Amino acid sequence: MALIEIKGLTKDYGRGDREVRALRGVDLSVEAGEIFGVIGLSGAGKSTLIRCLNRLETPGSGTVTVDGRLLTGLNEAELRLARQEMGMIFQHFNLLSSRTVTGNVAFPMEIAGRGSGEIKPRVAELLDLVGLRDKAQVYPAQLSGGQKQRVGIARALANSPKILLCDEATSALDPQTTQSILALIQDIKERLGLTVVLITHEMRVITEICDRVAVMEDGLIVESGPVIEVFTRPRHPTTRAFVESVISREDSSRKWGYQPRGTLARILFIGPAAGEPVISRLVRLFKVEANILQGDIGHLQGQPFGVILIDLVGEPAARRQALDYLESLNLPVELLEGAA
Amino acid sequence: MFTTPNLLTMLWASSLDSLYMVSISIAVTILLGIPLGVVLVVTRPGHIMETVWLNKILGFVVNFTRSIPFLIFMVFIGPITKKMVGTSIGPTAVIVPLSLAAAMLMSRMAETSLLEVPTGLIEAAQAYGASKRQIIWHVLLPEARSGLILSATTLIITLIGFSAMAGAIGGGGLGDLAIRYGYQRYMPDVMWVCVLLLYVVVQAIQYTGEFLAKKFSRR
Repeated sequence: MALIEIKGLTKDYGRGDREVRALRGVDLSVEAGEIFGVIGLSGAGKSTLIRCLNRLETPGSGTVTVDGRLLTGLNEAELRLARQEMGMIFQHFNLLSSRTVTGNVAFPMEIAGRGSGEIKPRVAELLDLVGLRDKAQVYPAQLSGGQKQRVGIARALANSPKILLCDEATSALDPQTTQSILALIQDIKERLGLTVVLITHEMRVITEICDRVAVMEDGLIVESGPVIEVFTRPRHPTTRAFVESVISREDSSRKWGYQPRGTLARILFIGPAAGEPVISRLVRLFKVEANILQGDIGHLQGQPFGVILIDLVGEPAARRQALDYLESLNLPVELLEGAA
Repeated sequence: MFTTPNLLTMLWASSLDSLYMVSISIAVTILLGIPLGVVLVVTRPGHIMETVWLNKILGFVVNFTRSIPFLIFMVFIGPITKKMVGTSIGPTAVIVPLSLAAAMLMSRMAETSLLEVPTGLIEAAQAYGASKRQIIWHVLLPEARSGLILSATTLIITLIGFSAMAGAIGGGGLGDLAIRYGYQRYMPDVMWVCVLLLYVVVQAIQYTGEFLAKKFSRR
């Protein structure tokens, strides 16, 4: 059984005419040890969903099971204990301004009733983990956003949880800081064997660290699966829009007035073939020329991934052979103009 | 300076009366007003101990009390005062209406300060499994403490102002002395000394309050 199981989850806000259905029957399972991302635009219900995982929101109907325990069936005291086994970080960090960094990290342990003899060494250990040892006696107001989130992470890990919930944890940070926080999350996940559930509206966050992703819209999960799969073969329009936010599929050659001379094709580079000199082989093997008009190569979970737009010039037969060659390498090709 | 030799003695006695009324009232006000403010906040709709009926009743009582001018309030609750402290006149009798009126004011000011604590902090504490009591003690009160100190400062000053009306029920004190001797017996020097003393005390309190609020502010 998966570590987190969600079945038929619904949640409504308000009543009568003003009723908003935030969740309309969500099924989801998160395996132990993975980083699971939920992406959606604001209002899609992702925030409500993650808050149902520790019952900061009480679901309308449906069940949430965490580590074999039915969360939706717990009484208040049991719920508090269950929450102590989950860490959570927030978009706006939510640090206590009246406490130092040390005081903030110690907070969940004080809540759990641990003694100061246990708390002190643990705080030092956690501050080392997030690289903030020198800020131990500083108040949050004196920290940068990235440092605040590091404190948030240290605090979330204080009671050695199995699960880390990230509620738009990088949305208030600049791209560079986002990168370093994501790297930290990935690192602690590996080191501590955590399971991470994160919600975001940024596709970059998903491609950077998530193993699996669910795309949410209007209170429902419209698409889900391993990130590579969803990313390379998006089925739902919303998913496609998110993918395009990271890798542009727009044909910009038009803008600078390029007139295609042969076949205009978009090639998706993914998997092992992306590491091969595919284009130069294409040119060498067949009587074609490839004019690269646009390209964007990055990586997705440590694998090269990219999109290039080429104008394939040559005899129709040669062009067809060249395209067949690409297909044989399992590289998805999309023909835009001048079908071979 | 003084036309009657026993005025210095009277001034001393009046100051002691003022000190007696005000200091005990301050203690009662804070001990009553801040918890009442906490209750006014946590019983609100959507808050950690949502109890709408209690919130409405308390809100009504607070507003009702605050709408009565203090001079009238003092006389109005005379019977209750008598039941509580055995008399409805004198400095001790003043403490009851003074504390009650000020506590109601304190509760509203505490409510305002407590509401300024970002809801995200309460949520974070809940996410870490904090109980309601822990949220109040470890999140709400410490995070609002700077605002609470400033509220208490304003309140203590208001309380001193209220105490000047204590003469109406024989409470004595500096305000009473200023009215009876300074005004009614045409002794402006007495008036001046009383005003000056009150001014010095109020300034000192305001300064201390601001200093403490700043000291505890970490935002």
